[in-house]
Amino acid sequence: MKTIGNATTGNNLMGTGTDDTMADTKAQAGQPVVVTQIAKAKLTLAQVQAKLDGQTGKRFWKNLDELADTPEFHELMAEEFPRQSMGGSGEWVDAVSRRGFLKVMGASLALAGLAGCTKQPDEPIYPYIKQPEDLVLGKPMYFATAYPFPTGAIPVLVKSDAFRPIKVDGNPEHPMAKGKSDAMTQATLLDMYDPDRSQHVIYRGQNSDWGKFQSEFATAVKKTSGGQGVYFLSETITSPTLAAQWKQVQAAYPQAKLVQWEPVNQDSSRAASKAAFGSYVDAQYKLDEADVIVSLDADFLGGIGHPGFLPLAAAYSEGHRYEAGKGMNRLYVVESMPTVTGFKAEHRLGLKPSEIAQFATALANGSSVTLSNPDAQKFLTALLADLKKNGGKCVVIPGEQASPAVHAAAYALNSSLGNVGKTVVYTDTVNPMPSEQVADLKALVADMNAGKVQWLVMLGVNPMYTAPADLEFATAFEKVPVTAHLGTHLDETGSLSTWHINKTHYLESWSDARAYDGTISIIQPMIDPLYGGKSSHDVLQTLLDDPQKSAYDAVQATAKTYISGDFATGWRKALHDGWVEGTAFAAKTVGTPKAMTSAAAAATSTGGLEIAFRPDPSLYDGRFANVGWLQELPKQVTSLSWDNAALMSFRTQETLKLDENGKAEIELNGRKVVVPVLVVPGHPDNVITVYLGHGRRVEAGRVGAGVGFNAYTLRTADSPLYADGAKITKLDGTYDLCVTKVHNIEHRGAFAQHDLEKPLSDKEGTYSLAGHEAMERSIIRYATLEEVKKNPDFAHEGASGTLVNKVGYGPQGETPKKDESFFPDAWNYEKQDASSLQMQNAWGMSIDLNSCIGCNACIVSCYAENNIPVVGREQVKVGRNMQWLRIDTYFEGDLDAPKAHFQPMACQHCENAGCEQVCPVGATVHTPEGLNTMVYNRCVGTRYCSNNCPYKVRRFNFLLYSDYDTESLKFMRNPDVTVRSRGVMEKCSYCVQRIESAKITADKENRAIRDGDIVTACQQACPTNAIVFGNINDKASKVAKRKAEERDYPVLADLNFRPRTTYTAGVINPNPELA
Amino acid sequence: MAQVFDRSSNALVRFSLVLTGLIVISLGVALDQLQRSPWVTRQGQRPDQPVPFSHKHHVEGLGLQCQYCHTQVEKAAYAGIPPTKTCINCHAQIWTNAALLEPVRQSWATGASIQWIRVHDLPDYVYFNHDIHVNKGIGCASCHGRVDEMPLMYQQNTLQMEWCLNCHRNPGVNLRPVSEIYNMSWAGPSTDKPVWCSSTVKGGATAQNVSCTTTNPGANGPEVAMLENGPHGPGRTESADLGPLMGVAIPASYQKFTSQAELGKYLTAQYHIRTPNELSSCETCHR
Repeated sequence: MKTIGNATTGNNLMGTGTDDTMADTKAQAGQPVVVTQIAKAKLTLAQVQAKLDGQTGKRFWKNLDELADTPEFHELMAEEFPRQSMGGSGEWVDAVSRRGFLKVMGASLALAGLAGCTKQPDEPIYPYIKQPEDLVLGKPMYFATAYPFPTGAIPVLVKSDAFRPIKVDGNPEHPMAKGKSDAMTQATLLDMYDPDRSQHVIYRGQNSDWGKFQSEFATAVKKTSGGQGVYFLSETITSPTLAAQWKQVQAAYPQAKLVQWEPVNQDSSRAASKAAFGSYVDAQYKLDEADVIVSLDADFLGGIGHPGFLPLAAAYSEGHRYEAGKGMNRLYVVESMPTVTGFKAEHRLGLKPSEIAQFATALANGSSVTLSNPDAQKFLTALLADLKKNGGKCVVIPGEQASPAVHAAAYALNSSLGNVGKTVVYTDTVNPMPSEQVADLKALVADMNAGKVQWLVMLGVNPMYTAPADLEFATAFEKVPVTAHLGTHLDETGSLSTWHINKTHYLESWSDARAYDGTISIIQPMIDPLYGGKSSHDVLQTLLDDPQKSAYDAVQATAKTYISGDFATGWRKALHDGWVEGTAFAAKTVGTPKAMTSAAAAATSTGGLEIAFRPDPSLYDGRFANVGWLQELPKQVTSLSWDNAALMSFRTQETLKLDENGKAEIELNGRKVVVPVLVVPGHPDNVITVYLGHGRRVEAGRVGAGVGFNAYTLRTADSPLYADGAKITKLDGTYDLCVTKVHNIEHRGAFAQHDLEKPLSDKEGTYSLAGHEAMERSIIRYATLEEVKKNPDFAHEGASGTLVNKVGYGPQGETPKKDESFFPDAWNYEKQDASSLQMQNAWGMSIDLNSCIGCNACIVSCYAENNIPVVGREQVKVGRNMQWLRIDTYFEGDLDAPKAHFQPMACQHCENAGCEQVCPVGATVHTPEGLNTMVYNRCVGTRYCSNNCPYKVRRFNFLLYSDYDTESLKFMRNPDVTVRSRGVMEKCSYCVQRIESAKITADKENRAIRDGDIVTACQQACPTNAIVFGNINDKASKVAKRKAEERDYPVLADLNFRPRTTYTAGVINPNPELA
Repeated sequence: MAQVFDRSSNALVRFSLVLTGLIVISLGVALDQLQRSPWVTRQGQRPDQPVPFSHKHHVEGLGLQCQYCHTQVEKAAYAGIPPTKTCINCHAQIWTNAALLEPVRQSWATGASIQWIRVHDLPDYVYFNHDIHVNKGIGCASCHGRVDEMPLMYQQNTLQMEWCLNCHRNPGVNLRPVSEIYNMSWAGPSTDKPVWCSSTVKGGATAQNVSCTTTNPGANGPEVAMLENGPHGPGRTESADLGPLMGVAIPASYQKFTSQAELGKYLTAQYHIRTPNELSSCETCHR
């Protein structure tokens, strides 16, 4: 993807100097051309405490700048375009270049008139020679496959346009995925079309070929005695075929060794299950049967980094859905770094990573704890009581990044509470060859250092970047005579290896993999490998009798062992359905877990500054570093984009005398790294959380290179999860973090500011503009289960989390009645359609805030569906990110233990839309079915519409963000959506291309559009069914039913914009003892 | 001091004012005309194609059906350009040595596409869809003209937005029975050549909704009409309970049309053509 860099001279107008890599852009950041500064408030704890003191009411806030209500923030608000105006005259730094711009602009305007008259160039048509029989050009086809991920394969259904995959979605027929997906799986599409992928086999820096590698490798291995000195270092294996192939290799070469290594692995649960049950097991949780869910540092709503994210999120949200007469589950989360899971929880306890083990052990033993968080004991008592009350109907989930002691405690708790067999079942591991990866890697490095390793073949791993720093992998690597690297990118490891083999993407190759529930999916290629490429299957096959046997044949051979019945039929069915029936794991009887050894249990904190290593919520362990969609995606909770930071609590920042957004240096065991500082509400004190996966070197590619800092350089093999005894010192200068939080408050102007200065009900305490509005104007509404039982109409009448009827705005935040308007007949969409003589269609959306878990899947799905460009770090910093959909996070209450509410916000398709009234050229207009559409060709870029939009959901192409040049990215685009150019406004279209396609199908069949015919991209991706779309005039439709619920409310309804998207107010189920 | 401008220059000033106005207006008119001219729209232009394919010869001369080559016109947005295989189906047997067909044989031998030049080239931001037009009674010739009389393919109409909207605002003028879609010489009903239409069973695809004929179903007796069209139009044969006597009633349900306006109105209702308001809404063609 392309990042827009800095224009350097006046005649290079519009700043379209395009730099290939982020590294370049960063290098030029010193030149004062593109404005990237946001005036950052320098907060002190005292200031904020003073603000918070004596405050009792509910408080919403969105970011700390606002919270502090600093003069800088007011200054920012006073500007119409705050971030673009900061630091002087904006993009045109000096008057000379501005004048130059106007001059050239005048000339180009004159030319523009003529340009409209030029003819289009001749367009060639390249028909097929023999057209594939089942291909209808322009009609997409769908194929089932699966995305192999270390925590279990994600079954997907790939939309293919003329055999080019253009969208990856969940497989609706899969028993586990049920059509849902997540941010990372969605983004694997861009990963495949990544123009920086490795395209050749490389031998010592020169292009070579696969055949040479095969012969050299096979010959060399044959010469060894039984494979002595041949080592494989593989990514986590979930493929039964690869495991089978390895078994064959091992039979032929018993001395060859295979080590699996992932920087983010499941070692804790492996170690704990071995200790408790004597063998490695995976745990599967059945949340649909759990009334009380306890997460011990498990971010099971955050994404596929947690095994079983899809079924867990779906079951959680179903259990958390409110319906009169139906019970609701209750979620407790004990964690260190705040996650979306923590914020969805009714009760969250922030603890240092070392204390989580203590807490878990105490919970298992029923003993008491004294921890740094004073609420811990109260939390523990209430939690234990609640668990005991719900024995057999509760579940304790330990996080993969929590220590083995936490897993041991969870085993003990689930066993003693009688959950095993009900809400928890233990099964074989998804990985056919489970191992403790750090220990294995350590042994491998020892062998490398000892000169035992002759051939090191690395399959899809990047140990140069990810190996623990203390292992000195690079030094050991040099001692290996021949290294071979199979990877999709010529990455940090590949560029130093003797051999590099370009790896196929999963969308290009045959394989198979097990999902969380054990179900096997066949991975089938969607496209011929773009750059040739080989898979791990091919590499292992090289050592076997039939080295040319394809991955397809290998997979078929293994499939014969797990496909029952007639193979040909079973195979076709498996390919069609995307899964093999009867391969799900059966529950395993494991017996009572053995008590953990005292050594494991005694993990205590020394009280020093801890540092916790977490996979990045978007980039995971760094494998997605070159995927622009995920880099730009605002991270869950922090809203960081294109950056990672030393995340800490307010108090820690204050005690350590650090500046938010300032530079600092972390030192751990003599290793140092320079980091930016960012405060995260709810973060425990005396801990710094760092996200792995950033700070890739230039080999990562044009997007990923040089983004953030590399936290792997601090991580050691002995303490890969968290480490004690870190030091952090302040450095001079600011880091200029890229955070998207404040973008939506742009352009609000004096009206909102007045509201901030002269609040009507919120007369004391902290003001945060967005937060204040969220409360006073009832943007977020929720109530407790008790309240909603008493008053189901709380969303319109008020509850503890819903403030209505208090403000002098319009008629109390409610939609004005039609008869209150001067135009009572306007916006009437209940007309008869003259063509069908039925009630016309009126499209609308409903989003259940109770179900939204803030996982970002919808945003990435929208990227793929609507050809949304990636704009780059500098542009995101000035608020020009182009996502049509954002998830607003509203924090509430106490800084130390805030609640948070997630609200997906996209174009609301107002019936009485303000944007339409101010457009001078009619570029945004209303359709008869009530869509608010953008006509890109009419747009002249005045941006008046965006100014007049109260929801701030319109995005403007300030520069040419879409990549018109890179060939591989052209393949990826959705052919049904225009690729927007510079100077036009864009926004959510309710996936109008899908609406039109459904309309055409229905019209051809002479029928009305059925409910469910149209599924928007965000709705399709949503793992929790939070988003529903349909015809609101059809009273039987899902969306109409949701909108008829009492909890349904529009945001900022009092403006009489009549939004078509409405929200369902949340309901929480807190424990009265902790309330 | 003498006047710099004598009185006669007043006239000159007036004249130049008028002249300026005229120049501005004529410039505007010229640009407008230019924009609509075939130079810009390519109306009527015959680009140099690798093979001088004659639709006239193949359609009028040999009687090939449109869909023999444009296979997916009823199924997808694109009508489809035939693969080389389609040419070779016949040209492996006939004209096997014709010099004109060298590119086809080349393509077949080498596996490289024949590079046609697109004649009907809509801008990329227009999402035109063939299947809905064809399924709703817009004939090929309505947009593409008498392709059967074109030795070399050219664009009959401007394909400009105003041309699209002319029909989207009043689709009735171009509607014809779906059975006549591929009829190049369909001229619409007139007093000399009336059209009789009858609505069949409700429901099902558009094409099955109406049965039309250009021969008077009453003249030859109802049985002939029955034989021609079946009791419920082409494609519907399940009428076990309908005895032959039931067919007698059919001519009564046939309506006679003597003008396109009447027929258009009738078909608009029968085919459930969306209203002009909806058809001319932006999102119909632009996304």
